[in-house]
Amino acid sequence: MPQTRPDRKLGPGHDEFWAWCSKGELRLQRCKSCGGLSWPVIDACEHCGSTELEWEQMSGLGKVVSWCTFEHDYYRGVLPIPYDTIMVELAEGPIFISNPSGFGREDITFEMPVKLAFVDCVDSAGQFSLPVFAKA
Amino acid sequence: MSYMTHFDVPTPDPALSRKAAIVGLGETDFHLDYQAARAKPDGYEAPTSESLAIKAFERALADSGLRREDIDGLGVNFLYGGPSSEEMAKTLGLTPRYTPERGGGICAGPLPVAATAIAEGKCDTIALIFSVATRSIGRTFGGNKMDDGPSSYYYHHPWGWSSQAAHWALIWTHYQQVYGAKEEDLAAVAVQLRQNAMRNPNAVMQSELTVEKYLASRYVVRPLHLFDLCLVNDGAVCLIVRRTDLAKGMAHAPVEIGGWGRASVTRNKMHTLVRERMRTQYQESGRQMLEMAGIGLGDVQHFEGYDASTIHLIDHLEGHGFVEPGQGLEFFKSGKAAIGGTLPVNTGGGILSGSYMHGWSHVAEIVRQLRHEAGPRQVKDVEVSMFSLAQTDQVHPVLFMRGAK
Repeated sequence: MPQTRPDRKLGPGHDEFWAWCSKGELRLQRCKSCGGLSWPVIDACEHCGSTELEWEQMSGLGKVVSWCTFEHDYYRGVLPIPYDTIMVELAEGPIFISNPSGFGREDITFEMPVKLAFVDCVDSAGQFSLPVFAKA
Repeated sequence: MSYMTHFDVPTPDPALSRKAAIVGLGETDFHLDYQAARAKPDGYEAPTSESLAIKAFERALADSGLRREDIDGLGVNFLYGGPSSEEMAKTLGLTPRYTPERGGGICAGPLPVAATAIAEGKCDTIALIFSVATRSIGRTFGGNKMDDGPSSYYYHHPWGWSSQAAHWALIWTHYQQVYGAKEEDLAAVAVQLRQNAMRNPNAVMQSELTVEKYLASRYVVRPLHLFDLCLVNDGAVCLIVRRTDLAKGMAHAPVEIGGWGRASVTRNKMHTLVRERMRTQYQESGRQMLEMAGIGLGDVQHFEGYDASTIHLIDHLEGHGFVEPGQGLEFFKSGKAAIGGTLPVNTGGGILSGSYMHGWSHVAEIVRQLRHEAGPRQVKDVEVSMFSLAQTDQVHPVLFMRGAK
């Protein structure tokens, strides 16, 4: 059974990100002009403003640089509280907010290495693969 | 939500320093209104942003001693909707010749806008009104209803990550790891601000807070406790700003706008916010402000920082350079941030314990302090106060100086 999740932001660009996820790939936008990576999805490069962007596959490796646990039910029961979130610094540089997979708050140490995983989820727009991170 | 960008803040210019001064202050009854909103006695009617705005304006006008016809500018800031400037002018019986299109909903942006307009001759005396019925309209600060503002406010819903609180929570976890701080260390900030609020009869929170009570309080986004996060309450603030040369001989000492700065984060936002704690933006905007005013950071005698969270207030103090990175909590624990300390901070209780007026109540507190009318929480002989607004991707400090009466 896929996990029910709060709605994704969808539309041009966003749909492409999630389409790559459904193929098991984490791809972010790299600027063809300045070479900078941006996340979340953008229309124009956040570094130089260029609209010449390409989807580049990430290695899926990173480290946990911060984390927090939601005890307040902001999503009105969609996600059972408490639940953990992690701030992953990808090997390529960008920060990716995600969830831990197979570990929790008590297991986290600062800058511990993690690797990409996907979990089957569903929101009001349908099923999708959510990028999360497991211990490396 | 009217979200302010740095483009709303005019360029800092030494020629504009001390050319405009706050001469009138009006606030609504934050404490009493909060009590009433909680108790909802028979016949209780929730305030509207308009009713609050009228009350704050009338009080500011009376406080200034000015006549209604002296007001030739009007800026209204209804963060969550309300009447237009034109409608409000009619309601208040004003005929302004200048109404800024949008000075930004959150303070401090509207003050530089007003000071610049006055210097350009667009008006001589402007009433700036900020009003929100945040509690009464049931405004929430996380979850799927967050769908505007910076992308970090809404993009991470599928991972269950949203809310302003979550930004501060990541900062606090990271800070603990980098500097070896403990959860109870942050309590010192909440406890100090509550003590300040208890010397402010209009502060929403009046009961004592202890470290034990702090640690026993529920987590909202762990590691942040309830008392690490700002209040949600209704209210309005009105500031009347006047050309400095017209501000002499009035009821109170004028509070002159000495300088301002602005810097924003345009890329790598979460890295800049959490890993670097916007140090570059604090330093750059602070430098602009001090250059405009022609003074040094050491001349600041009283500091008000936008305390959306306890840890965010630490970001301000360390970012602007009042203390070294990693020393901010000790600054509170040792009493240096207390009234009577080396740099009194958020003397009216801030938005953590005072009133959630999005920066306007911080400036109101500066007005009282620089007038030397802050009663039991007065910072002795204060002449220079600094306010620093910072959100998750921008910093706007404003410097204020006590002018000759």
